Amino acid sequence: MKKLVSGEQIAKSFQVGTERHQVLKAVTIDLYEGEFVAIMGPSGCGKSTLLYALSGMDSIDHGRVFFEGVDLTALNDKELAELRRTRMGFVFQQPTFLKSLNILDNILLPAVRDKRTNIVALTERAQSIMKKMGIADLAKRDITQVSGGQLQRAGICRALISSPPMIFGDEPTGALNSTSAQEIMDILASINREGTTVMLVTHDPKIAARTERIFFMGDGSIISELPLPRYTGIDLDDRMAKVATTMREIGI
Amino acid sequence: MYLKIVRNDIAKSKLITCMITLFVAAAAMLVTLSAVLIVHLSSAIDTLMKQAETSHFLQMHSGAIDQARLIDFAEQNEQVDEFQINEFLNVDGAKITIAGNTLAQSVQDNGFSTQSEKFDYLLNLDGQVIEVKNGDIYVPVGYMKDGTAKLGDTVVVHNKPFTIAGFLRDSQMNSMLASSKRFLVSEEDYAAIQAAGTIEYLIEFRLKNLADVRSFEEAYNRAGLEANGPTITLPLFKMLNALSDGLMITVILLISLLVVAIAFMCIRFTLLTKMEEDYREIGVMKAMGLRVADIQKMYLAKYGVMAAFGCVLGFTFSFILRDALLENIRLYMGDTANRSLVWLFTTIGLLLVFSSILVYVQFVLKQFHKLSAVQAIRFGTMRGNARHAKWLNISSNKRFPINLFLGVKDVLSRKSLYATMLTVLILATFMIIVPQNLYNTISSKNFTTYMGIGNSDIRIDIPQGDQNVQHVTAVANMLEHDEAITDYTILTTKKFTTISSEGVEDSLKIELGDHTIFPVEYARGKAPVAQDEIALSVLNAEELQKKVGDSIPLIVQGETKTMTVSGIYSDITNGGKTAKAAFSDDSTESMWNVIYGTLSKQSQVEKKVSEYADTLHFAKVSGINDYIHQTFGTTINAIKKVSSAALVVALVMCVLVTLLFMKMLIAKDRSPIAIMKAIGFTNVDISIQYAVRSVVVLILAIIAGTFLANTLGEFLTSTVIASFGAASFDFMINPLTAYVFCPLALLSVVLLATLIGTFQAGHIKIMDHIKE
Repeated sequence: MKKLVSGEQIAKSFQVGTERHQVLKAVTIDLYEGEFVAIMGPSGCGKSTLLYALSGMDSIDHGRVFFEGVDLTALNDKELAELRRTRMGFVFQQPTFLKSLNILDNILLPAVRDKRTNIVALTERAQSIMKKMGIADLAKRDITQVSGGQLQRAGICRALISSPPMIFGDEPTGALNSTSAQEIMDILASINREGTTVMLVTHDPKIAARTERIFFMGDGSIISELPLPRYTGIDLDDRMAKVATTMREIGI
Repeated sequence: MYLKIVRNDIAKSKLITCMITLFVAAAAMLVTLSAVLIVHLSSAIDTLMKQAETSHFLQMHSGAIDQARLIDFAEQNEQVDEFQINEFLNVDGAKITIAGNTLAQSVQDNGFSTQSEKFDYLLNLDGQVIEVKNGDIYVPVGYMKDGTAKLGDTVVVHNKPFTIAGFLRDSQMNSMLASSKRFLVSEEDYAAIQAAGTIEYLIEFRLKNLADVRSFEEAYNRAGLEANGPTITLPLFKMLNALSDGLMITVILLISLLVVAIAFMCIRFTLLTKMEEDYREIGVMKAMGLRVADIQKMYLAKYGVMAAFGCVLGFTFSFILRDALLENIRLYMGDTANRSLVWLFTTIGLLLVFSSILVYVQFVLKQFHKLSAVQAIRFGTMRGNARHAKWLNISSNKRFPINLFLGVKDVLSRKSLYATMLTVLILATFMIIVPQNLYNTISSKNFTTYMGIGNSDIRIDIPQGDQNVQHVTAVANMLEHDEAITDYTILTTKKFTTISSEGVEDSLKIELGDHTIFPVEYARGKAPVAQDEIALSVLNAEELQKKVGDSIPLIVQGETKTMTVSGIYSDITNGGKTAKAAFSDDSTESMWNVIYGTLSKQSQVEKKVSEYADTLHFAKVSGINDYIHQTFGTTINAIKKVSSAALVVALVMCVLVTLLFMKMLIAKDRSPIAIMKAIGFTNVDISIQYAVRSVVVLILAIIAGTFLANTLGEFLTSTVIASFGAASFDFMINPLTAYVFCPLALLSVVLLATLIGTFQAGHIKIMDHIKE
């Protein structure tokens, strides 16, 4: 398998009051094309920071990040923005939409920045993705007029609009009830099966257990890694038991 | 407790606090300045008139005079307190040289007088009655102001040299709007130069009771006494003295009102934003049982502190500008303001600014009453009616670039948010355009038509004399045969008698001739054309209680003729009491003649003026532009000063308000900015979006502001001007400044401020705001 994202010796610290807090301590990680990966760990362990570092959304103090072989630390704002727009998709925990746009427009937004865009074809594509996600009839709704689960599906539609090879999810099910959360995981799994690499950050073992490789983080470092076979739809309890065992072993 | 909260709050938002305080300071400064100027102007005029003992009634007269009859009249009339006849030796400007330069180009009637005996004294710059020595001369202060003369210069009249020993204030003829200027020489010197010019008489009265001036004027007219020249009463002297600075004060007052309005807008915006930020906290406080009044008190305390500090600051700033603005008043009228009155008015002005801010803050804070504690705690945000422009969709947008689209959409979606910036920019546009238009209007050639002077290129004045008829014919002949002259008209002023509604005889100076060639501006009605039509100046119409269509009896050649009032026009010439008619008359002797002409080429005006001046020794020839410049020069300069200041103040305000607004907007929009950055919009994209928002608001503001300036602004200005004697009034707009320069200036400063204000948008950390 080909390497898609690669982090080498990533270090990052924040100033908290008078103290400097080391959030990432020389983290090295490789993600391969078509992988379904989760990063787990307790609050404050640096898992979200790692996601933002790997996607080029946040700068790092030391180390390097490669995406499709391109060194993100060497890119300027414009190049990074273009990369995020065309090669990456993002799904966040909270609904991150522009309040002044309806659902369809929010989904279209990342793709219309490109001047050559054919808006008619793009709208058709958005509508077909929405149909797949089961929210086809919500296109003209305001973002305040739909439920959290529906909003998260819209978020996934937006992440997919430019057909990126990689999707990052920062606690994408964190604000949802368990039924909705499993539905979102079904969608992400199906996207992954179609070839898109998916990386999630979560603290929920039930969510992490549905992926195929789990990195466990603690105190700014990756402490352990757990490979899992492809989820069949009936072995969730077994997978969760494995996750729980690993967590116990490393003490998180 | 309140103090502590206020102190913390101010420390947290230093920039915004500073800016609002600064706006309050600017408003307070302007209000203070207006108060200071008003008190100074009115008291300086009063003091000047008291010191100089200005005439209550002045009849200028040229030609033969029967002094014994006048003395008899004055003694018989019980209203008269004092009476005197002063001589005014009218000398052609070409015969007077100051420091080597002649006054040939001067449109003023320059003349020489000796110090009055009883009243109407000419004063030195210390306000004392001048005693002039032989060989010395005192020159009107206006000539010092415009640099024509300085102390120690030599004035030569009729080959007799004088040394300028000082400058004089003339309570009657100080203003450049008064057409005569008196130079003061000793009795002996006066006798020596008497042959240089023609003598005019100033027949002057002081009455026991100033309120009687109107009935005295009637009595004077009834007596059929010398009246070959303008009649001026004390109120007009006051008006002439007040006009230039009065206009400036009006504009400053207008600007200060606008600044107060802008300060209000900023307060509204910051207060509402702050309330939105503190929404949850306020809800919790309410839930805990704190009374709304307590919460209001907290905010009120904060703005009270800012307003008080701003007022003190503004008051202090006003001292810096005070001297520059008072310069004219001090020079022409003296510095004699009643200090306690200045303090009183200043205090009232500052208290007004301070209290209006507090009242306004209270008004905005009323929103607290509507706030529900439950809603605040549950939702944490104000559930405003955030209706966005639904018709504007990305999916149906095929034409506009996305950044332009998003910028426009945001403005349309959050109208109430942008309303503040819009209002401020409208006010700023208004503030720039109105003074500019006013300046443009009064400096334009056309403006003379509002002042009773026809719009032409050349004006030739032929004063009364023995050869009057021959002179007029000679000029007419010359103009007729001059190919450079495209059109001309001769207007002859004669005195007739009319009978007022109370049956009293009254004299009426009527300018006869064709009034359609170089028409003045008519407030109502039109120029007289038919033989039985007459137009009256505003002052005459008021005095005779006539309106358009009324009939008025006129005694011509011993017979009573019924004239119809065809129009009413504003006039400041010849004491403002004039009339115009088109009938021909040979029976009455003419008082003076004015000939207006236009040239085929504007560039020839100067050449023709000097050519005619050389040929026509008996006449005063002036180019209309010079005439305007010299007559309205002081006023035009004052307005120019104020309009430039208004431009600078408005632009600075636009920068500050846009900066403030953008900074607050960025703070408010942190989350959507983070979203856009996360999904691939660059910092430049975001800057463009904010610039688009500013430009959209600015374009709307410029359109609305220009419209308001040309309607409401024109109405306000014409109301003010009307109070100075000109009745109807239309703005003359310079399209280049009003429609190109002003919008461009606004556009550049607003864009610059937007770029500076939104610079921080690029530094927003996606992670920090997306996780919120």
